Amino acid sequence: MKDTLVEDGPKVTEVRPPATRPEHEAALRKKKLVGLTRPWLLLAPSLLVLAGLLLWPLIQVGKLSLQDYAVKFGGGVGTYTGFDHYTDLLGSELLWKTVLPNTAFFAIACVGLTVALGTLVALLLNRLGPTWRLICSIAILAAWAMPAVTGTYVWIWLFQPQDGMVSQIAGSIGLIDPETTNWFTERGPFYAIATLNVVHHGFPFVAITVLAGLMTIPKELYEAGELDGANAWQRFWKITVPTILPVFLVVTILSTIWDFKVFTQIYLMPGGDGANEEVYNLGVFSYIQAFAKNDYGTGAAAAVLLTLLLLAITIVYIRTLFRQGEEDL
Amino acid sequence: MSVRRATPAARIGLPVAVAALLLFTLFPVYWMISTALDPKAVTRGSDVLPSGISFEHFTYVFEKGNFGTYLLNSALVGFGTILAAGVLSLFAAIAVARFKFRFRTSVLIMVLIVQMVPLEALVIPLFIQMRDYDMLNSLLGLTIVYVALSLPFAIWTLRGFVQTVPKEVEEAAYIDGASWFRMFRSVLLPLVAPGLVATSIFAFITAWNEFVFAYTFMKGSDKYTAAVGIYQFFGENSTAWGPVMASSTLVTVPVMIFFVIVHRKLGSGLAAGAVKG
Repeated sequence: MKDTLVEDGPKVTEVRPPATRPEHEAALRKKKLVGLTRPWLLLAPSLLVLAGLLLWPLIQVGKLSLQDYAVKFGGGVGTYTGFDHYTDLLGSELLWKTVLPNTAFFAIACVGLTVALGTLVALLLNRLGPTWRLICSIAILAAWAMPAVTGTYVWIWLFQPQDGMVSQIAGSIGLIDPETTNWFTERGPFYAIATLNVVHHGFPFVAITVLAGLMTIPKELYEAGELDGANAWQRFWKITVPTILPVFLVVTILSTIWDFKVFTQIYLMPGGDGANEEVYNLGVFSYIQAFAKNDYGTGAAAAVLLTLLLLAITIVYIRTLFRQGEEDL
Repeated sequence: MSVRRATPAARIGLPVAVAALLLFTLFPVYWMISTALDPKAVTRGSDVLPSGISFEHFTYVFEKGNFGTYLLNSALVGFGTILAAGVLSLFAAIAVARFKFRFRTSVLIMVLIVQMVPLEALVIPLFIQMRDYDMLNSLLGLTIVYVALSLPFAIWTLRGFVQTVPKEVEEAAYIDGASWFRMFRSVLLPLVAPGLVATSIFAFITAWNEFVFAYTFMKGSDKYTAAVGIYQFFGENSTAWGPVMASSTLVTVPVMIFFVIVHRKLGSGLAAGAVKG
């Protein structure tokens, strides 16, 4: 690290005559000062942007959740209401029966499938020759590059009642009656399609990150494992997983954070923009309360709940990271 | 690896797995492009091949849907985000990867925490703030928001790349009498360039794909970004799938080309970084 460099400095110049000592000490102090201030100078622009656009609004949303906020002529007026929005929200059946189960089950399904599929694909890529690895990587990049908005439209189009490809195929083999079946009106099929969409978009990141990790594992470990008679399953769990555990942790953290706050992929689906209460998740609920029903206070309270939920998950993961030792962080 | 014997299961399993992977990843892309080119898009049903090839939906979205303006808006916002987020995150990443200082861990944890903040918690206060300042409908306002959104992940990613540059290389530069800035310019910057490319891609994609803020902030239709502009082709009762898929193709394909062009650099960068570490 830089510190050792700063301390190494004097040793190099030790041979100088003693006359230059005071100057040298001044230089040393200056160096120390630079070492102390430089990281903060480097960090300052980023910290300013993050404080102004992420932390400050978070404080504002917290204040807003304690108010009835109404838009009057020429600006907004807030009336302090205490924790009313929270008690209303936590007492509502919609939250416990619909919004929270939708959010949690959807996120768990997405994270599990994303990490499992991503790892399988990474293992596959690791076994392929250079040509096929390149072809598959490009295909994966294509799925990754697909924006959430357009990806959602394609999945809607595939599952569109009557005209969509999947609806027609399912109808022609007699699984459904394409005239009457609408997959978007019930939350089971609705969220199954959303899960497909999110996993398709999310697994490439896991695959490419895990592949980079796999390539760092020395082949000798596997050869030793094979000599000891470990089969492929054992080699995966006893050699691969422990060696690149930090990689798995990071991709799981990020996937969990991303999948709990999925918004666009739900909001853009038919009925997802508030028309169908059955399919609300916490983010969509918050947005609709604020912007469609002009109930900014309740919207803000729901957003605070979502933030606290994610904060709890994040803290669990940060503790896990810390257990691996501070050097890893 | 050549010593590994191919078992019969592997000989069949591997091609099947590759085929399934290619189908799963590429079919939605194929379906989008082929619908965009199909003159009878809505009635194609489950026909794998389009009924014909025509560019009428593309002409429609440019002439009737004003999509050229939306693409330009998205590009402006995207490149603004790359420039700002690239510079800011590189500085921050060097600070947390190369220096030991008080609160270094706190800064890292804060970066990790702000990354989890849901957009819905930010969009409500920022909307009110921007409305009070008359900053709604401004591409600059949107760019600033996107810089903030892409920073945490950019810092986190770049930090990994900076760490993989061996300290000995830097020390060698100091011994040769280089100042810190000289070392940064001639040693560190070229070595983390692949990481900077990767980070810039993430920043650009964040901005190009973002929906919530663009949808909430941009109320004048000439300021829509492309991701929001597609929404207008959805009708009350029926959807014009031809134009929707044509505009989706226009949004998706540039990102894909961009990805594939930088793929080798990105791939070798990730691999090289990983092997060095």
